[in-house]
Amino acid sequence: MVKFLKANKAVIVLQGRFAGRKAVIVRAFDEGTRDRPYGHCLVAGVAKYPKKVIRKDSAKKTAKKSRVKAFLKLVNYSHLMPTRYTLDVDLKDVVTLDALQTRDRKVAACKETKARFEERFKTGKNRWFFSKLRF
Amino acid sequence: MAPTKKAKKSTESINNRLALVMKSGKYTLGYKTVLRSLRNSKGKLIIISNNCPPLRKSEIEYYAMLSKVGVHHFNGNNVDLGTACGKYFRVSCLSIIDPGDSDIIKSIPGDQ
Repeated sequence: MVKFLKANKAVIVLQGRFAGRKAVIVRAFDEGTRDRPYGHCLVAGVAKYPKKVIRKDSAKKTAKKSRVKAFLKLVNYSHLMPTRYTLDVDLKDVVTLDALQTRDRKVAACKETKARFEERFKTGKNRWFFSKLRF
Repeated sequence: MAPTKKAKKSTESINNRLALVMKSGKYTLGYKTVLRSLRNSKGKLIIISNNCPPLRKSEIEYYAMLSKVGVHHFNGNNVDLGTACGKYFRVSCLSIIDPGDSDIIKSIPGDQ
């Protein structure tokens, strides 16, 4: 009886091109909208996970390996698997509904999300979120 | 002799309570609607039959853990659970949204 599909919840996308990728809910639309009359949410996820960094790597290699590619998507609730993890990265100002309207705005929002994900990855926190789900 | 008698009595009481929920309360039957009721936090108690596939069972239990809802593992398979609901089809999982006059929510999750 507790609502768990809220902002900052880490979820796993189950269907579509990004199936198996981890994402974080930025904004949830429980009641749906006119265009999408079902519960859905705006998620920002990891399209390409950062690679494993070892101690032997040079600084240039570490920088190259720690790159994250992000995606933004509106996903139906039934195409998500919620997890017990959360990721509190402030994406509300960057990832908005009108960022998804045009291609170049989406690309700009993805770039900003990528930057925020990378800086969170470099701190070493939320390690589960940035590790690939093996299946 | 005494323990078996107690087990039989509690299964009967679950069936009685379920029948009362079917008559007076709100419920949904089936996996898709159970997950939907958990997602929009309407479900109050989830009942799963004993021959529910283990992956589906753990998925429902995980959702219930996230939403802090009790899960009861019914002592019977989906055929029995369907009969207990008064339906002529199999029911593998069901979600009680509004218990009506029944006290199933208060009494059952204690003895999962």
